Amino acid sequence: MSNEIIRDDSPAEYNLSRRKVLLGGVVLIGSSYLGPTLPAWADSLQNASYTNQFMQLSTLLVNHKLDKNVGLRLAAAMQTSKRLTPQQVTDLLGIASAKNAKIVEDFFPDIPDGPLKVAALEIISAWYKGVLVDAPDAEVFTYELALMYQPTIDVMTIPSYAISGPNGWTSHAPPLADMPEF
Amino acid sequence: MNADVIVIGTGVVGCLIAEELLDAGHSVLMLEAGPRVERWQIVENYRNLPPTSRLHFNAPYPPKPWAPHLMSATPEQAAEYLQLEGPNARAYQQGYVRYAGGATWHWAGICWRLTPDDMKLKSLYNVGRDWAFDYATLEPYYVKAEYALGVCGPSEPELQWPPIRSKPYPMGRLPFGPGEQRFTDAAATVGLVNLPSAQARNSGVAYGDRPACCGNNNCIPVCPIGAKYDAATSLTRIESKGGRILPNAVAYKIETGEKNKIQAVHYYDSEKNTHRVTGSIYVVACNGIETPKLLLMSTDTRNPNGVANSSDQVGRNMMDQPKLVVELELAEPAWTGVGPVQGSSIMETSQGDFRSEHCGALFRFNNMARSRIGATAALAQGLVGKALDKEIRRQAACTAEIAIEHELMPAAHNRLTLSSKKDWLGLPKPNIYYDVGDYVRKGSQVFSIPTAKRLAGALGATKVDISTQYTNSDHIMGGCIMGNDPANSVVDIDCRAHDHENLFLPGGAAMTTGGCGNSTLTMAALALKASDAIHLQLGKA
Repeated sequence: MSNEIIRDDSPAEYNLSRRKVLLGGVVLIGSSYLGPTLPAWADSLQNASYTNQFMQLSTLLVNHKLDKNVGLRLAAAMQTSKRLTPQQVTDLLGIASAKNAKIVEDFFPDIPDGPLKVAALEIISAWYKGVLVDAPDAEVFTYELALMYQPTIDVMTIPSYAISGPNGWTSHAPPLADMPEF
Repeated sequence: MNADVIVIGTGVVGCLIAEELLDAGHSVLMLEAGPRVERWQIVENYRNLPPTSRLHFNAPYPPKPWAPHLMSATPEQAAEYLQLEGPNARAYQQGYVRYAGGATWHWAGICWRLTPDDMKLKSLYNVGRDWAFDYATLEPYYVKAEYALGVCGPSEPELQWPPIRSKPYPMGRLPFGPGEQRFTDAAATVGLVNLPSAQARNSGVAYGDRPACCGNNNCIPVCPIGAKYDAATSLTRIESKGGRILPNAVAYKIETGEKNKIQAVHYYDSEKNTHRVTGSIYVVACNGIETPKLLLMSTDTRNPNGVANSSDQVGRNMMDQPKLVVELELAEPAWTGVGPVQGSSIMETSQGDFRSEHCGALFRFNNMARSRIGATAALAQGLVGKALDKEIRRQAACTAEIAIEHELMPAAHNRLTLSSKKDWLGLPKPNIYYDVGDYVRKGSQVFSIPTAKRLAGALGATKVDISTQYTNSDHIMGGCIMGNDPANSVVDIDCRAHDHENLFLPGGAAMTTGGCGNSTLTMAALALKASDAIHLQLGKA
């Protein structure tokens, strides 16, 4: 027997290819090449108007710095999964516009209960959780950029990352009122 | 293939023994049922999990078809491999990993010792069994294990558990974050001491080839930087010393020969081809479930009930620390999640004369970051904007949980047998009957739950929710119980099988009783004690 070191790749269902493919797809679109190997949802990204509107709406629903690449993935996935239609985006923007809204509190109460409100809440939830659906095998759009970590980022690390160094943490407990900027 | 020592299993026990014997000049071949992967792959698997799945500590370790282990993300997955029955079947859903490196990939790193009293329960309280040797015999091996694993801990005797030590910890203690300090202060108001844990995590400095802990708060399910000991950190070192590691090699039969000595181990590779390896000494260290399973599968005319099983004790006395969880909502923020995921416990509640009547318990303020939990709860309320952010921060900071881990006595009816259901290779799945028993149930009712309520009150809890069902602590013990009498035990004081002079079964399965703390340091100490015996035996050969 040789002393060859045997190593295994990460199993296919959990490997990196999904995130790499998604990021790679975005890069390819940026270079204006749309080949036959692109994911099915790539067609929707050609519709700049839809994705721009989605980001505009996201910025109104979630009043924080939003990553455009994450937004592209979310926009496409929401449309492909029929969780959001271009008409709903237009309708929600219309409600915001009618209220001359700058932040979500300005227009959210005016969104009627039903599919439109569900869609708005799903957009918000996706930005915070990094997934459309929090279920086994669901696609993760982002881990570290999911906004759910930000309201506590002054104290709690994003698990697996670190915000201090060796023994660099203390028992200091900041007030709840000191909300971080993000 | 041949070596002086065949080691089945590449977890903490197998790796410690392999390295000790390599250092002593013996050749070692290790068989590992599962795959061998790099740390970054596990970290990326974890980050690619949907938020709730990140709670399932085995989820970043998808099993290979030939080496199944428990996956618990869905009830269907949970029912797939371990076949569980009995009044507390749910409480034996043990998480362990059949990967090179074993279950220490996703342990919390806590290294409690047993106390002298923990080892003589029969003499002192007329319950359970006495260990076949005393604390003083094990103490030097505890020290050796602490230095092998790189354990940090307090230098003040009043903060040590137990404060009976022949040598300081190799590193000083880790600092508390705000949550554990808050719990320590609250415990003091009800007369209890929350001790900083001894933990196999590098405190302030590098140790061996591992860097210092930076508080990534992800010890479970994987330390992303290898600051916590896991056996995977020793695999390349073992190879550099000449050890051979064979992953995807599923041992399925131990072959006996003349004088009932072990003469070979048979394994399947990932394509179902069979192979046979031989050695002078055989070590089965596949954790407390897979070890008895392999022994029971290995029947022959000399050993009709399985290898090492003339006592009929293989697979019996299955133990763990049955756990209850207390969910708390607090008026003031606790801010858990700063530092490692676990770092302290109340231990004194595990000791006392009450042990003649009911169990004791350990109380731990879990220190996992709760941002995800806070966000999930706040989003479920339909909140938006500033109200959403405010509620996430409040939920993350002002909720917490206390884990209560109880001491379970060895009992013959808590038993692992071979299921009629087969796995991908056609090997029987393990079937386990589990009842935590009246000793634990009474301890919960009259002692641990009332104590937890006092702690909750001291913390200023506005809401207290105590789980009604015991769950697993993943501390698998007892299936090859140690003792002096071959009629009622499986291994001797060196973890050598009574029935086979060249077969060693070290680790959790050999433990006579388990106390309230996690079992890993005792497993490691037993491994090092067995290593000495193996070295001596090989020398004689």
